Amino acid sequence: MADAAFLALTVITIGSAIAALEMRSLIYGSIALMGTLGGIAGFFFLLDAPFVALFQLAVYVGSIAVLILFTVMLVKRELIFKMIEDRRRKFAGIGLMLIIMVSLGAVFLDSGIKTITTDELAVDFRDIGKNFVTYYWPALILMGLVLAGSVTGALVLARREDVEDDQRTN
Amino acid sequence: MSVIAPDFKFSKFIQSLISDVVWFVLIFSLIGFPIIMMVLFFIPMPVIDGELLTPFLAFTYLADPTRTLPIVQSFMMTDMFKIMAFPGFGFAALLAAGTIFVERKMLAKLQLRVGPFYCGKFEGILQLMGDGLKLISKEIIIPAKADKPIFWAAPVLFVASAAAFVALIPVAPGWVVADVDMGLLAVFAVIGFFPIVTILSAWSANSKFPFIGGIRALFQMVSFEIPLILSLLGVVMVTGTLNLSEIAASQSSFPWILFLPVGAIVFFITMLAELERIPFDLPEAESEIVAGWLTELSGMMYGLVQLGTYLKLYAFAALFVVLFLGGWNGPQIVPQFPMEIVTNGLELGPVTAKIGGLEPLLTELITPEMINGVLMFVLKTVGVIFFILLPRGVFPRIRVDMLLNLGWHKLIGLAFVNIFIALALVYAGVLGPGGLQ
Repeated sequence: MADAAFLALTVITIGSAIAALEMRSLIYGSIALMGTLGGIAGFFFLLDAPFVALFQLAVYVGSIAVLILFTVMLVKRELIFKMIEDRRRKFAGIGLMLIIMVSLGAVFLDSGIKTITTDELAVDFRDIGKNFVTYYWPALILMGLVLAGSVTGALVLARREDVEDDQRTN
Repeated sequence: MSVIAPDFKFSKFIQSLISDVVWFVLIFSLIGFPIIMMVLFFIPMPVIDGELLTPFLAFTYLADPTRTLPIVQSFMMTDMFKIMAFPGFGFAALLAAGTIFVERKMLAKLQLRVGPFYCGKFEGILQLMGDGLKLISKEIIIPAKADKPIFWAAPVLFVASAAAFVALIPVAPGWVVADVDMGLLAVFAVIGFFPIVTILSAWSANSKFPFIGGIRALFQMVSFEIPLILSLLGVVMVTGTLNLSEIAASQSSFPWILFLPVGAIVFFITMLAELERIPFDLPEAESEIVAGWLTELSGMMYGLVQLGTYLKLYAFAALFVVLFLGGWNGPQIVPQFPMEIVTNGLELGPVTAKIGGLEPLLTELITPEMINGVLMFVLKTVGVIFFILLPRGVFPRIRVDMLLNLGWHKLIGLAFVNIFIALALVYAGVLGPGGLQ
């Protein structure tokens, strides 16, 4: 059962990732990207990490993919992008990907990941929270600072002084 | 006045029904029944209680309540029943249908109109059925330059997302389709799908009004998701769980709205915005952009989107009840069953009417506590739905910049205030371990 689900998820994830790159229509490409992100959420479910899986769904599929979709809809593709068809580049990209995958796989196989037990219970999310505020507190604070910095940066970038709205009354 | 069926006569209709039934029985008994018997001849039948299960015995079982009621009971405990009928789709669709009718009639009363009146002889109670038949029988028109696969899929996806939302709602203790440990996170994940479906449907119609409506819907839903999630974190802090059933069960003494009123108010306002209801109905503003993102949908596609909208309305109201109003908890007003009637039978003079097999059904599955829980849940949900419907008769639509201003400046601030209230309650020892609970 788990093997069949794993295979199906793999096909969905990799297939829609290829589709996201190769589709001519940007909208369909971003829908395929949603399929990839959803497939990764499925992998997290299979790995007994429903907390991460649901956050993957809520954040990546629910927000990031929507932002990409929204941007794509407001962009006229023909005006910005110029299509470069180059078969050599494509094959070079595929070769590079294969090399990276093989080397990553060799690292994983060498790292002793085969010996971990697979029938353990799912980690309680309360334990994750406890670990975050005790052992990993520097990482938590660093993440908080990075997020606060990026939000402030986004606000500064989005702020426009030159626009004066005369119609606004409030 | 044109009439659809001018020669319609009720007696003729009944006559045709009876003739259909007679023909069915005749053909079945002459052809179908012998075929079943011949097929059964080749199938090895099971032996139950030392008796071979012949078709005659099977029919006897069907007529015997001591044999059929356990089957009904085990069917009621299956996931299929839960998904299709009781805490799942059927129950929610029934409440949603009631909501549509009550909305139309109540708005009419608020605005001194009559509302649905003729259909069904009494106060137009059959209007919904008529509307449903009308939508089913209407032609589905797809704009010529629409993106057909997405345009077809969007209404179905909308209903599917709404049904997934409904599946997470616990109605009574143990009566929930998907008792997920991360129920609230699953709700957030499901809510995130609605803007995608909306914008895809709007874009695929390839038409101006749906696109404007879809972009408005996207703005509104995405920006109000943040205060929605933040306003619910207070409840998670005081209960220490994300499971919706546990959150509902934790409110046996008092509902969380007493301690977290700010969060409840913020959640209610964001709920109105997520549901695109007046005063936040910019995506469907009928006086500006025809019907917003629904403009190009016709026939049953429009019907599916409406069904999904009202399922979503029920699910949001039920979520409010589960998180803030105590779910199924409430005073026990359903009396205990008189068990001697069930065990000994009902004595009517010389005759004793006794239905065997009823006892386990009534003591294990449909207990008075369960009925009371469902009753309390439905009463509270209907109350919340009433308050969701009420602004439609009262408020005008607000501008989009006011909407975004409200969402980003005021509601997020209030949601943080709510989180600090929850933290103060937990750390002061009022709630949580050692506190009131």
